[in-house]
Amino acid sequence: MIVAAIERREIVAKVSFIDEILKYDSLSIVGLQKNTGKTECLKYVLARLPLDQKKVAVTSIGIDGETTDQVTRTQKPEIVLREGMYFGTSEAHYRLRRLVSELVDVSDESTSLGRVVTARALTQGKILLSGPSSTLGLQRWISDVRRHDIDLAIIDGALSRLSLASPAVSRSMILATGAAYSINMSQLVQHTAFVVDLINICVTSERNIALLGPIEKGMWWIDTDGELHEMEAVTSLSQQVQFHGMDHCCAIYVAGALVDSFLEKVRKNKALRQVELVVRDFTKIFVTPQQLRMFEKTGGKISVLQKSKLIAVTVNPTSPAGYVLDSEELCDRLSQAIGLPVYDLLKN
Amino acid sequence: MQLKNVIESPCGLRFMLDGLELQSGFARRWLLDSEMMTNEQEIAASYGVLRHFVDFVRSIEPSFLNTLLFRLQGVKDIRTTIKNLRQLSTLDDIELFEVKHLAILSTEVAKLLKNHNLDNVVEIPSLDEVINILDPDGMKIASFYVYDSYCEQLKDLRIEMRKHPDQQEELLVEAAEIEEGVRADLTKQLHAHVDDIASTLIALAKVDINVAKARQAVDLELCFPEISGDGTSHYVAMFHPQVKDALNRAGKQFQPVDISFAHIPTLITGANMGGKTVVLKTLTLCQYLFQFGFGIPAKEAGIAIKDDIMFCIGDEQSIEKGLSSFAAEMKNIDAVIKASREKRRLLALIDEPARTTNPTEGTALVQALLKVLAPRRMSLVMTTHYDIEPGSAHCLRVKGFDNGSMNYSLVEVENGEVPHEALNIAQSLGIDQEWITLAREKLKVSSCEKTK
Repeated sequence: MIVAAIERREIVAKVSFIDEILKYDSLSIVGLQKNTGKTECLKYVLARLPLDQKKVAVTSIGIDGETTDQVTRTQKPEIVLREGMYFGTSEAHYRLRRLVSELVDVSDESTSLGRVVTARALTQGKILLSGPSSTLGLQRWISDVRRHDIDLAIIDGALSRLSLASPAVSRSMILATGAAYSINMSQLVQHTAFVVDLINICVTSERNIALLGPIEKGMWWIDTDGELHEMEAVTSLSQQVQFHGMDHCCAIYVAGALVDSFLEKVRKNKALRQVELVVRDFTKIFVTPQQLRMFEKTGGKISVLQKSKLIAVTVNPTSPAGYVLDSEELCDRLSQAIGLPVYDLLKN
Repeated sequence: MQLKNVIESPCGLRFMLDGLELQSGFARRWLLDSEMMTNEQEIAASYGVLRHFVDFVRSIEPSFLNTLLFRLQGVKDIRTTIKNLRQLSTLDDIELFEVKHLAILSTEVAKLLKNHNLDNVVEIPSLDEVINILDPDGMKIASFYVYDSYCEQLKDLRIEMRKHPDQQEELLVEAAEIEEGVRADLTKQLHAHVDDIASTLIALAKVDINVAKARQAVDLELCFPEISGDGTSHYVAMFHPQVKDALNRAGKQFQPVDISFAHIPTLITGANMGGKTVVLKTLTLCQYLFQFGFGIPAKEAGIAIKDDIMFCIGDEQSIEKGLSSFAAEMKNIDAVIKASREKRRLLALIDEPARTTNPTEGTALVQALLKVLAPRRMSLVMTTHYDIEPGSAHCLRVKGFDNGSMNYSLVEVENGEVPHEALNIAQSLGIDQEWITLAREKLKVSSCEKTK
């Protein structure tokens, strides 16, 4: 009886999970930290997508910077692709492919491992994924693969400050979390719930999106007449942030990272109490839960230009050191805290 | 002299280049690397091509133009691949893809141009043979891998792979060797066409550049100049596109100017804010545009070809070299004098020389400069506020204040006497009245002293 119930539950989980993904034309899979099972989740999804119904393309956010060579060459996991899947990777990794594939595009998007190329797998086999390393490049890749009638573009994302590309350009998202972040279950649940809150931050108004969307740098504010003004300080990290002259301000836009000290300054400025704070997407928010709570308590509001629909959270209860949390308890507690289905994919 | 060397000239060439809607990065690089033309046939031929493209962009459907532009966007800089092919080093899949992509793209562009009888204007070599080599299945799609049809053995191996995924690793190793052999063979076959491939890439850049120049000429109402054979340059209703654009944005009109000059020095005097500097900027800009084959911002123009174009604008300080504005200017003008000694066709445009020093020495310097340069066989256009003896120079004056507003047109005057309008202009700007009044009194006193 019990075994049957568990099996039924798993079947329901699998079906609804994959079905939910198929409702969107793009998906990113992001890990809270390394070893939280992001790659397992990607493999799980790739293995189960109905390729007879949907044309699928997959890429990964490349990590820019000097450490790329040492880090990505060794640490980027190999993904097994199925015949017919499209993939985007760097020239260097394309040359190391272990499958037969047909090149369909060579982009102008260059990474430290060469340009990003797109190909179609003609046999199943292994490939190292290292795609565009900027948000713009990622957006371009997604729109470029549409030319090949792709129904679903999947991005192996990263929630790392090393990465310049944001996975929030996808319409849907899966978050992978686990004991690698903390073996203290309460802490893990709390932190994951906080990140889920950030992912779920509301999208700003259409007007603000049109006005702020093209701006990639600096800090700006919008007055009650809808006029855009640039602030003197370039980043929210600056010590010299000043708000004078912003009498009729209704929104402040931070194009880069949003940090605690800035949030505190806005909160303590009485004139800015009702101001909407806009950031590009949740990956730009680097504030502590305490500061965010206080900010919201005093009437502050944060919104984003871009948001992905969080479909599910997956957990990896095993820490890299080998410590294992109770999978069922973790799934239950997390699911309760975030109000979304939580899956332990390895258990399945 | 390449375009990229003069692109930052203060004459405003950057504005024209930024306004060009080039479709590929390669076309932009190729244009920036292009040499300034100094040969009459070459310039005439380039305008001949551009005229065809202007007719083309004027007459075609927007949807057709968009198709062409979309194709041109796909042009990639594959010069490294072409170099490898030339050296017969075996191309990899990505390089073979690039060659095939270019070949298919060029066929499509050639077809579009042929529909509008432009196939003789820019010649795109046929790469049908290249396509045949890289498209054994005749799919005509820009994608590439070492196809099964290249080799029976490869085909069998891949069938095996699909049947026995567990043996894939070993089969892939076996297949890799065969694939490498196929690539070496393809490289050899393609090598015979390497010159055509290289010229195709450049032809596509030329199409891109000509379409962009033609669209700019239509949008900005530019003209195509006559090539002057007697050393005289003349412009009717010449304008500066960047200044015109800025004025239009502010709801104002640009007043076009007529001007001509030859080998006799031309001296322009006139009130402050009379547009003298803009005239020099525009002349410099037009000369470059002419010799890089762009449309000319004027209603009509006849331009003489020059080997060197030197534009000295007074107020540039050379901070890196630690020179003051005066020192930088003297060095620049010195370079003009040196260049004027060489037997090259030189156009020098000098804006208010010695303006930053005291008027006594300044006047002497300008007077002497005119004397030094006048006998040289060069074209010189110079502006000044100083009262100097024009000698044989051709003197032009900005008409100046006319019924309460500035008239920017140039009129011929007998001598180079400078107008005294600075105080009127300052007054019209709403400058402090006490200051202006005192200055007027001071002027009266000094002119009285002179008459005494």
